[in-house]
Amino acid sequence: MTPFELAEPKTLKEAVALLDADDPTIRPIAGGTALMLMMKAGVFRPSKLVSLSAIKDMSSIETVNGELKVGATTPLAVLERSDVVRKHAGVIIKTLRTLSNIRVRNVATVGGALAHADPHMDLPPVLIALGARVVVQGKSGERAIPVADLFAGYFETVLVKDELISSLIVPAQNGRRAAYLKCTTRAVHDWPALGVAVSVAADGNAIKDASIVVSAATEKPGRLVGAEKAAQGTVDDAGWRRAGEAAAEEAELITDGQGSAAYKKELVRVYVARALRAALGAQ
Amino acid sequence: MRTINFTLNGEQVSAHVAEHQSIVEILRDRFDLFGARESCAQGLCGCCTVLVDGTAVSGCLYLAAFANGKSITTVEGLATNGKLTPIQEAFLEVGASQCGFCTPGFVLMAGQLLEAHPDPDDDDIRHYLSGNLCRCAAYPEIIAAVKLAAGRLKAGTT
Repeated sequence: MTPFELAEPKTLKEAVALLDADDPTIRPIAGGTALMLMMKAGVFRPSKLVSLSAIKDMSSIETVNGELKVGATTPLAVLERSDVVRKHAGVIIKTLRTLSNIRVRNVATVGGALAHADPHMDLPPVLIALGARVVVQGKSGERAIPVADLFAGYFETVLVKDELISSLIVPAQNGRRAAYLKCTTRAVHDWPALGVAVSVAADGNAIKDASIVVSAATEKPGRLVGAEKAAQGTVDDAGWRRAGEAAAEEAELITDGQGSAAYKKELVRVYVARALRAALGAQ
Repeated sequence: MRTINFTLNGEQVSAHVAEHQSIVEILRDRFDLFGARESCAQGLCGCCTVLVDGTAVSGCLYLAAFANGKSITTVEGLATNGKLTPIQEAFLEVGASQCGFCTPGFVLMAGQLLEAHPDPDDDDIRHYLSGNLCRCAAYPEIIAAVKLAAGRLKAGTT
């Protein structure tokens, strides 16, 4: 890695003040697990990193007005062991258990998992399906951004360079059921070729409303509105398969080291139906 | 450059480090501790495992600067007065290593596993050790060693 300065502000305000909207070589660092890989590979050569570790009130998990609020520097492992999270949206816990490994989860943070914007990451599609939003702190104040609108492209977010994610908010799920499935291609790095997150409001197996999100196979994680429409009103395997077909037609898939677009199209077709079935708990 | 102060295997130490250096670099270059070693350099093989305040991290992805004020434990810090831990004894007895390169990481992660799950089932063991790779593929022996150690630790505490 190339040398850089390291600032360790004590408050969120100080941290934001140290960032520069016009200087992409200054970046925040929380757990650093993903950023370290980019720096080691020489893809990112920072002039200054602003560590968020010394900011005290940014690591917390609480329920506020029925919504789950998670501080951005909360380590993923803390989220994974939280009963509050388990009760609010158990799919988050299940997802975390398959995310990288225990050592990475001990260090990597919720905010980092979103700000990094690698489309192969597991949490973003799940949080989109759950209707979550992030609270973002900038120099002139804070704003809320739905996670569904956070990603601008491959490793790109809509955040300005002097903005920081301060917390994540997951709304009450009101009985909605959710699931996340991913397909890894047994490559050494274990990054998925496809991630599918779904959340459904259903009466038994009858889907009233579905949120269907794909990741990893696409440039950025995002909802498939056509597939969601196709899933609406379905009650059985034949219907969920039709939603899968619609998803395969709709998703803008990319070819990369995890597989060709044509291969991923088949994966989407199968995995969307499976994810709906898994969310419903149907046999 | 900056000076960091931390506890290393129970001893207060300090080191002058550059901001971009990882903890595993400092442990090897300044403290001659070679148990943690950088292998994949991506946090997925587990060879660089160290404990920070009792929690396992990948030392190759952890900036040394972040160790300031913390307590770092490496495999060298596990034995007390030359007496190996039950996990280390079990690895030796079962022959849970061939070349031994990955063994410190497995021993430390096995410790994390048995702290959280004193009576682990196969799923628990795989879950905790899935981030550690053994190129000699001594996995059956490693799992056997973890089970042997778990049994002994349990017997010792009851």
